[in-house]
Amino acid sequence: MREGFEEVEHTADVAICVWGGDLAELFANAAYGLACQLAELDDVSLEFEHQIALEEPDVETLLVSWLGELLYLSERDKAVFTTFDIHTLEPTCLEATVRGGPMCEGRRAIKAVTFSELEIVETERGYETTVVFDV
Amino acid sequence: MVQKQDFEQVGDFTWDLPRRFRSDMRVPVRLFANQALFDEAFGDRSIEQLINTATLPGIVKQAMAMPDFHQGYGFPIGGVAGMRTDEGVISPGGVGYDINCGVRLMATELDQEEIAPHIEDLMTALYRSCPSGLGGDGRRPVSDRELEQLLSDGSRWALNQGLATREDVAHTEEQGSLRGADPAQVSARAKERGRSQIGSLGSGNHFLELDVVDEVYDASVADRFGLRRGQAVVQIHCGSRGFGHQVCDDYVKRLQSAVGKYGIDLPSRQLVCAPVDSPEGQAYYGAMACAVNYAFVNRQVLAMGVREAFERVLAGKVRSFDLHQVYDVCHNIAKFEDHTVDGRSMRLCVHRKGATRAFGPGRSDLPDDYTDVGQPVLVPGSMGTASYVLVGTDRAMELTLGSTCHGAGRVMSRTQARKQVRGNQLRDELEESGIVVRAGSNRGLAEEAPLAYKAVSQVVEVVHRAGIARKVARLLPVGVIKG
Repeated sequence: MREGFEEVEHTADVAICVWGGDLAELFANAAYGLACQLAELDDVSLEFEHQIALEEPDVETLLVSWLGELLYLSERDKAVFTTFDIHTLEPTCLEATVRGGPMCEGRRAIKAVTFSELEIVETERGYETTVVFDV
Repeated sequence: MVQKQDFEQVGDFTWDLPRRFRSDMRVPVRLFANQALFDEAFGDRSIEQLINTATLPGIVKQAMAMPDFHQGYGFPIGGVAGMRTDEGVISPGGVGYDINCGVRLMATELDQEEIAPHIEDLMTALYRSCPSGLGGDGRRPVSDRELEQLLSDGSRWALNQGLATREDVAHTEEQGSLRGADPAQVSARAKERGRSQIGSLGSGNHFLELDVVDEVYDASVADRFGLRRGQAVVQIHCGSRGFGHQVCDDYVKRLQSAVGKYGIDLPSRQLVCAPVDSPEGQAYYGAMACAVNYAFVNRQVLAMGVREAFERVLAGKVRSFDLHQVYDVCHNIAKFEDHTVDGRSMRLCVHRKGATRAFGPGRSDLPDDYTDVGQPVLVPGSMGTASYVLVGTDRAMELTLGSTCHGAGRVMSRTQARKQVRGNQLRDELEESGIVVRAGSNRGLAEEAPLAYKAVSQVVEVVHRAGIARKVARLLPVGVIKG
């Protein structure tokens, strides 16, 4: 099981706490945390590949957009993305290659990535935030 | 940090937090609750969210919470807020991601005894004809052109396609077509997501239920709604699917810049908003109205799936397999309505997020055959528990901008629910208590277990006794479909 995130208690929705040594690791761990919510990840192939390029006014919006993009691609391709090569991550722009495969077993549908409780803070282990998914 | 003693009990079921509690509040906060619900209310951030809502420009009366309220983002779920259209704001967080999540109630001609021998077959047929679950494509994919039309016209489009009856349309909030829908304000991505999902239930807390009218509290109103004790009915609970989620997502991002542009001070980012009469505010409304219409069409197409299943299973076996529409209500919406506030008539943008319109008798917005009675209010319970039909009241017009609760709010996280309940065990228990279950996922079942929710009967009792809706009938499930 990959480190870097854990599900946290949330009454109405689903929330994860995510951390990483740097912003790229935070973003990759958040993406994997999303993937874990969407589907069982054993035996998922890497046959699909997408290039993602995003630009947003601030780093929190960029994180929401990044996860939202993965959610959209998952829905469109009926797939789950588990490998993330982040080539560029300035606080307001991101370029990445993501890979994944068809969902073998879906876990839950996520309606959206919210801004609720989202605040990327610097900690001893790098960066940390909570992400709340609307289910 | 707000505490119980900061509130003042002003009625048997009403608690107020005065404006002076926080300097940025423009109006007080008002909770509708009994003592037990009031005491539970401080366990999450819902009251803080309501206080934040009370800071929004143009808000009138109070920032209100219905008794099923719980933590959301921006507004709490169960939140109601009306903003003046001339100087107030419209907020996507005051509507939610599942725009026009709502409930439709259809009534059969049949009683429980007549339907009992056929329930297993009916549930299997309904599960097939009303797609649900993950990866959920709908039963009626649409072309680009059809999508543009249904976004503008809502249920009227369905009527023209032969997918609705005139009664279906008349017995839907806004006649299934919210004015002001503007497909040009909707992103290409939302349209792409929406094309394949018309006629799909989705998953999570969405469901389709076969119920029986177990108890009638107001016989004359029940009769006017076409309901009687022992009758079999069908509820459909779902929303605007990926289309609506994308619209909300698009505008939560797009309005971030509007907040700064119009000098709006926000205590929470998820309360992002724009003045109602600004280009940004109007763009959001135009897109939101498209999502509202999408959801009406979604439920209409599912209703045709219900009719198809009933005909397939029951034709030749019962005296009638017809279903007629009682009503269809929205739970997540922002609408322009005229209300009297402090003796003055005002045009307001009323946000209902996890709350239901509950218009009393005499409103012209209601169908002709319900105008003298009041609007049906549909309050689904959690899975396997009772649901309720109520009617709107004059008191709701006075107290809550014609609003009431929407269902049972959650009290327990999904992880907690999964620890306490096993999905297959819950399925067995439901089956043992006479409820036929068709569900895509045992985990999904466990997360939606009744113990994870407030008791809807308690919530309904509060709104009934507070006078903001009146009990008409109780429904008990005999079959449940969950995605």
